[in-house]
Amino acid sequence: MATKKTMTLNLTDAEMGVLEDLCEKKDLSKTAVLRQALRLYQAIETRVEKGAKLFFENEETKEKAEVMML
Amino acid sequence: MSIETSPVFLLDVSSGQPIDAELLDGIAEQQLVHWEDEWMPVLRDAVERMKAAGIERTKWPQSRHWDWRQKAQGFDRALANPGFCVTCQGMTQGMMFLDLLHKARIKSQTGKELVYIEYLENAPWNRRHIAGDEARFAGVGSLLVRAAIELSREEGFKGRIGLHSLPQSNAWYANTCGMTDLGADPDYPHQLRYFEMTPEQAEAFLAKGNTP
Repeated sequence: MATKKTMTLNLTDAEMGVLEDLCEKKDLSKTAVLRQALRLYQAIETRVEKGAKLFFENEETKEKAEVMML
Repeated sequence: MSIETSPVFLLDVSSGQPIDAELLDGIAEQQLVHWEDEWMPVLRDAVERMKAAGIERTKWPQSRHWDWRQKAQGFDRALANPGFCVTCQGMTQGMMFLDLLHKARIKSQTGKELVYIEYLENAPWNRRHIAGDEARFAGVGSLLVRAAIELSREEGFKGRIGLHSLPQSNAWYANTCGMTDLGADPDYPHQLRYFEMTPEQAEAFLAKGNTP
């Protein structure tokens, strides 16, 4: 498997709280959550750069809200 | 991108002996050249032979339209879509692309992360329904499924994997891999059947060792 590099990450209490909540909800380590977030961010960026739009759709009302990517 | 190589072995079908092979955590230009220059002519010949023999279309190699070069370009540098391949005697024997952004569907694992096998293909000369008794190496598919499970574990996904299977491979995923068949997926092209492996099934598959 690919060699990994180590880095120090500085998070606020609020950010750390969110990360810990996600770890518990997903049953993943902090590293695993952040690696997954990076994959997702890159995948979305790639699609948006190609002209795609990102929407959330309410399954019941079918109402759509576009997510604006910076 | 650096590709790491791990020593593995396949079974040489003619001698019944294990043979040294390599598992690579990437798909490089060399693999795509092998696919174009070596796999495709064998696949095309197989299709022509089956057509001439009047064999019905559903029995032709169902991955014959897969374009690995196009897939590799589409997944270039995508963190969510790592590729793996198996080489032996200087030739690519199997390739696989994964997707790490899928969720489990099986009831006991619903919503949990898994490694989804987007594409997995064995070289045509290793497939019995193409090469018959002259199939060269056995164990390629098992090695690639094992690599997907190992990655799933490494990522903290506990060995969970999932995939949509071409009809010709349904029995192999169900019986050899021991995956759960969740039935035809109405939302997937051609309504292919969806299979999933739980952490317990992954453990059982790994415990079997590299049996074809």
